[in-house]
Amino acid sequence: MCFKILVFVKQVPDTTDIRWTEHNTIQREGLESVINPYDLGAVQLAKNIKSALGDCKISAVSMGPLQAKEALKEAIAFGCDDAYLLCDKKFAGSDTLATAYVLSQFVKTHCSDFNLIICGYQAVDGDTAQTPSSLAQRLGIAQITGVTALKDICNEYSVWIKDTSAYKQEIKITHPALVSTTLKDIDFTVPVNGWIKAQTTDITVLSAGDISAETSKTGFCGSPTQVKKAYRPVIVRHTELIEPDNCEEASNSIVSIINRCKEQDDN
Amino acid sequence: MTTNTLVYIEINNNKIENVSKEIISHVSKNFDDTSVCGFLTVNTTLSESLFSELRQIGLDKIYIIQHEALKDFNVEVFSGVISQLISNIQPQVLLMGATVNGRELAPRIAANLQIGLTADCTDLKIEDNMLLATRPTYGGQMMATIYSKTLPGFATVRPGAFLKRNFPEKNTEIVYFEANFDGVYEILNKTEILSTEYKPQTDDWTNSDIIIAGGLGLKSKENFEKLYKLCDLIGAKPAASRAAVELGWAPSEIQVGQTGRSVSAKLYIALGISGALQHMTGISNAQKVLAVNTDKNAPIMSCSDVAIVADATAVIEALTNKFS
Repeated sequence: MCFKILVFVKQVPDTTDIRWTEHNTIQREGLESVINPYDLGAVQLAKNIKSALGDCKISAVSMGPLQAKEALKEAIAFGCDDAYLLCDKKFAGSDTLATAYVLSQFVKTHCSDFNLIICGYQAVDGDTAQTPSSLAQRLGIAQITGVTALKDICNEYSVWIKDTSAYKQEIKITHPALVSTTLKDIDFTVPVNGWIKAQTTDITVLSAGDISAETSKTGFCGSPTQVKKAYRPVIVRHTELIEPDNCEEASNSIVSIINRCKEQDDN
Repeated sequence: MTTNTLVYIEINNNKIENVSKEIISHVSKNFDDTSVCGFLTVNTTLSESLFSELRQIGLDKIYIIQHEALKDFNVEVFSGVISQLISNIQPQVLLMGATVNGRELAPRIAANLQIGLTADCTDLKIEDNMLLATRPTYGGQMMATIYSKTLPGFATVRPGAFLKRNFPEKNTEIVYFEANFDGVYEILNKTEILSTEYKPQTDDWTNSDIIIAGGLGLKSKENFEKLYKLCDLIGAKPAASRAAVELGWAPSEIQVGQTGRSVSAKLYIALGISGALQHMTGISNAQKVLAVNTDKNAPIMSCSDVAIVADATAVIEALTNKFS
């Protein structure tokens, strides 16, 4: 029986290259878009599973504007078999709760016979790490957050390594299930014919209606969290500049500050 | 109007996580007119020592959910029973630590209750009875203040973002919450932890009183060794900038900044750190920042309380002599 994997990918701005406007907002024009680095880790794990099981289909899924087709083409070039783009004006401005709702509606209407969902741990533009958990809850399935390697897999279950700063665990999970991975910055070699396959594979674009999504639960209106303000952090401290003549003088100033701190009460 | 705030008291290895205490400290001090309640999950009767500690963290009331199925953390089981508690007591604000477990648990609770959630916050306040949660985004290059249209206002908080304070013993009311555990064993059967290997933990240094951090200005790994020795002499904890960690001069566990840890020290001394924005967001909650740098124009010099133009390595030598 064919093992069905869904990999969710997000197209994100390249956060290593952010420029600012004079109003301290992000300069979006000319901002490069890339596949979220953690999602490439998810694609890699899916490919590992495919080599282990053989009979396996990997579908890449994204929610976003038409431009996100580029990210999905890349996912196909890297080894995914087909791709879906969930694209509707009514999805714009979705927070994590609304996003997970849209993704869950796709799964329920188009791929309810999936075996495993793999997500990146978090997206580098938001860093929230909420969507995988939220999606697993919507689908009522078990999950492992932050896996780092696949140990063993068959159609019924898989065994994963989760390596955190506090502990290393081996966890067995029964399918269908969701795992998210902290693997990122995978150094991919695009398989022979990868880009040709990407250019010749049609990406299925689905609207809210296609996935039976209630638009009151999607987009800006369906999102409970709202940004009150976004700003560039400004650190305000009134600086006392000391230019000592020598190191002895410098260290004396520091000693007196340390001593004052030690004497200071709790409040 | 009184705000009713509920805080998750995360217990691991029979110990209350620092972040839980940090959140309670912040709420008690900064949310006016609020009653602060906590809740926790256990699989067996709480030890006396833990009970007495729970009475000393400034809470008005603690809800305990006790059941043998809560022995190991299982996100499906935990989110299910915690959601029951939330629905039952209907707090206006719900807060959890953004720990490994907390970051996994909170979104499931939010999805279950269909409420908004703001993750990994570094500041919280109440305005017009509404929770305003501030968090870094775009890798620390931008801050966003977020509110939710749904109740309770729900956020997870970055460990180290708030200062942990001491509280006088309080007459904390203890309430056992009877949750419904139907179907829980079927859920537990879906995931099985085959093995766990705990790693030796460096004790939590992010909220120690004095932190002395080194950056590129320390010039070598050997000078970091000298920094550690100086910290021992002073009773401070060492830390490092991302640049120093990336060069292998210091371990990543002590990295400060958006990609490292947030600190809330009373005094943060930055030796030879230029002060990239991602570093500065990690120390925004330090009470006092003292920077030592040879470059008077380094970014950190204009956003510190005291900026001393001097060579960091020479300062380490001189301080070591003074405190020896």
